Amino acid sequence: MPNPIHQVTFQPNNQTVDVFRHGENLLRVAIAAGVHINASCGGNGGCGKCRVIIDQGQPESEKSAKISPEEWDKGYRLACTTKVVDDLTVTIPPESRIDNSVLRKDLGQKQHTLMARDLNSLVQGVKINPAVFKYYIELPAPTLDDNLSDLGRLTRELKNEHQLENISADYFLLRRLPRLLRDAKWQVTVTIVYNPKGLKLIDIEAGDTRDKNYSIIIDIGTTTVQGQLLNLNASHQAEERSVIDDLESELLVASDAKYNSQVRFGEDVITRIVYSQKGNGLNELHREIIKDLNEIIDNLVNKGGIEKDQISHLVVAANTTMTQFFLEIDPKYLREDPYVPTANFFPPVRAIDLGLKLPDYVHVYTFPAVASYVGGDIVAGTLGSGIFQREELTLFLDVGTNGELVLGNCDWLVCTSCSAGPAFEGGGLKYGMRATTGAIEQVRINPQTYEPMLLTIGKEKPLGICGSGVIDAIAEMLLVGLIEPNGKFNQELNTDRVRKSETGWEYVVAKADQSAEGIDDITITEGDIDNIIRTKGAIYAACKILLESVGLTFAELDSFVIAGGFGKYINLERAITIGLLPEIDVEKFMFVGNGALLGERLVSVSREMMGEAQNIAAMMTNIELANNMKFMDEYVAAQFLPHTDTNAFPKTMEMLK
Amino acid sequence: MAFSAQTEKYSGKMGTLTFGSGDQALTVGGQAAMPFGSFDGELPNKAVIAMEVYDVVNPEWPAAVVDPFKDVINDPVAWAKKNVEEYGAKAICLQLTATDPNGENKDAAYAADLVAKMLDAISVPLLVWGCGAVEKDAEVLAKVCEVNEGKNLLVGPAVEENYKKIAAAALGYGHAVVSQSPIDVNMAKQMNILISNLGLPMDKIIMEPSTAALGYGVEYSYSVMERISLAALAQNDEKMQCPMINDIGKECWKAREVMLSEKEEPGFGPDQEKRGVLWEAITALDMLIAGSNLLIMRNPKAVKLVEECIEELTA
Repeated sequence: MPNPIHQVTFQPNNQTVDVFRHGENLLRVAIAAGVHINASCGGNGGCGKCRVIIDQGQPESEKSAKISPEEWDKGYRLACTTKVVDDLTVTIPPESRIDNSVLRKDLGQKQHTLMARDLNSLVQGVKINPAVFKYYIELPAPTLDDNLSDLGRLTRELKNEHQLENISADYFLLRRLPRLLRDAKWQVTVTIVYNPKGLKLIDIEAGDTRDKNYSIIIDIGTTTVQGQLLNLNASHQAEERSVIDDLESELLVASDAKYNSQVRFGEDVITRIVYSQKGNGLNELHREIIKDLNEIIDNLVNKGGIEKDQISHLVVAANTTMTQFFLEIDPKYLREDPYVPTANFFPPVRAIDLGLKLPDYVHVYTFPAVASYVGGDIVAGTLGSGIFQREELTLFLDVGTNGELVLGNCDWLVCTSCSAGPAFEGGGLKYGMRATTGAIEQVRINPQTYEPMLLTIGKEKPLGICGSGVIDAIAEMLLVGLIEPNGKFNQELNTDRVRKSETGWEYVVAKADQSAEGIDDITITEGDIDNIIRTKGAIYAACKILLESVGLTFAELDSFVIAGGFGKYINLERAITIGLLPEIDVEKFMFVGNGALLGERLVSVSREMMGEAQNIAAMMTNIELANNMKFMDEYVAAQFLPHTDTNAFPKTMEMLK
Repeated sequence: MAFSAQTEKYSGKMGTLTFGSGDQALTVGGQAAMPFGSFDGELPNKAVIAMEVYDVVNPEWPAAVVDPFKDVINDPVAWAKKNVEEYGAKAICLQLTATDPNGENKDAAYAADLVAKMLDAISVPLLVWGCGAVEKDAEVLAKVCEVNEGKNLLVGPAVEENYKKIAAAALGYGHAVVSQSPIDVNMAKQMNILISNLGLPMDKIIMEPSTAALGYGVEYSYSVMERISLAALAQNDEKMQCPMINDIGKECWKAREVMLSEKEEPGFGPDQEKRGVLWEAITALDMLIAGSNLLIMRNPKAVKLVEECIEELTA
């Protein structure tokens, strides 16, 4: 743990919390301290409810129409627009205070909210050695005495200058080569790509362009597609550095994400495979995903302020079905007994051959798949999580539309996947959305008034609710008694926030007047809760069965790595309260955000990691849950908050008493 | 060396349920071993059969379940009396068919009044069973509980959609509740948790894990019940330690095998009555062997047969 920079003490209950980031938002600090402050606009200063009184210390705070000059002088501030830049003592005014007599057992206790770590130190000893690299060469012009062919001349110099051997050249390159070399006066930069089969010369440019070497990495999820633009030149310059973390800011140039457009053909992979079997279905689905990738590539190029011809490499990780759609390979047999994919290791392919609008020399590296329902994304995640290097027993859980799990250490790996549904990515929920600006990401509920305390991503007016917000909200609703352990609303409470709508009972998280323009009341419905219970039940059951399959239990885990598109934060206590995560020591959890992108990034900067990815795919043993009776039992047992097996959640049960 | 039989020691024990008031009260459950396994542990209470009484009889019932009650079939109170006095019923289960919104749709006050009259007429404990329409059952059973306060009726079935109202009424007016769940161990447990969360103690709850008749999925009921028993006894899972009840008559007496005569289905043989009696008795025995503590049955001969079996197996 780093050392705290500031301390904030909340009165009247004298709760002190450490702050690790200079300028941290005061409302977020309050949530971390387990202190309730009414806040219904998501943190943009619009509702004026999160008033606090600063007794000691100097925070940075914005003036607000909601606070009169007299109040300002008395120390009143809006918590959501206040930054902690000093040690503070803050008094919660009576209207936000919770009567001590009903003080919840969990309030005032330290919360464990994990922030997604982007590039992390989970993997040790990564040698910076990108799969795509550039060399600047000055060739001697041919003479009658030295009349070697153009290509021969080039490879001779690469061997002499850079000790590169057995390089094959792309055919298309040859067509450009003679004129280009002479126009460039024999001073050129070559781009060489490494793949497990050898080296390939893919591009040649006039002059020295070594500083323009970018890679794009894409994670194709069933519901969400995410991409990042990486500056490989940064990694090149940092060759002597051993800790990849140092690179983070220089390496990552831009990020982008969107929903997978194939969703209109079906939310899950099975429906899409069925669709692909009709007429031109496979081609339609393929074109749809290529369209999404082109859109993301365009956005990344724009955001990064670069030209497309500076991109040298594309890395793609996806589940097996998405991989086959991406490569336009018939996925029919993925869903038919005995569930065999077309290939585990996919040969490199030129991006333009797939319809991607990238220069003709850009090749795609596709992550290898393990089985029909354990794809390249999980291999990438396993790589990124570093399990394959550790002695300790680790469970890696990637929550997407499919929950994918890997268990093991440096000696062995077993994996499985379960159909979870897109709920944690915002899919299938009335006001669900991806974790982007305006998504409610943290929720607390006052146990007396049932008024919420909200924080949105970007502190904009609420547009909807993302995975981490839904986890928070459902856990809070359970803790304050708004819902029963079966996810049904308590209909006899005195609050207008619980109401019956056309679609059933629901809780109003953000009222229309506090939400973004054009957004009605944002609610969580009984249907949404059912959806989340099914999803979290499937994930928990799959974790348990995977452990049981090798004779282990949750208690024996040394670490538990979570990845997924929930949002930027995940509150462990809340995730445990709803039974998504097991009740184990919270210190064992790690949250890495998008696991697949992590692994893809490693492959981009280190070709040794490409070899590791192949090894991982080859060493993983897949456990099939589809016809596992025990899984069905465990699944039903988990359809409850937190779980039918209350003995597995003693602390949660204590809080619920 | 003397032979000593291996016995199974269980860490848990099934809870009990007492229903009916005063000297008439009956207690079921409390077993510390699997069904009829008295060599493994104590089985303090024998299983009880409650005989059914309907307020409206389906005209399609076969003769085997009409003839024994011909004289009283339109008078549920007289029928109940006959079951007790002539057929020796140890408990009565009143099936409130007339409250069904798709049938006569009689109101809650009618049901409460009928229950009160029946309580006056009989000297054995009474179960009151709703028509199965969840909202209507909640309303009717709540009223039955209120009007007959303190009589310690057993009312049900309370299901996920209506348990709150029924359990709250039972808690408020001193009755016990049947907690019904769809043929799954975990769902049965969830219902127990939900109902006991409302404050109703576990000894006021009996589980109905969904009953299927012989030939209609009895094996599913069997395995779920056996697993519930094992969870309660071997794993000492306290939320599974409620005794179990099975609604047998209703399931058996609509089976094709009891409804069709030899003329309609020659392969079934001539004795339609015997066929029906055995169908109900064998289903009941299956449930007893699976761990049932309380059976709801219809035909007097079937009841007699099963009671004889219980006596023999516990002798």
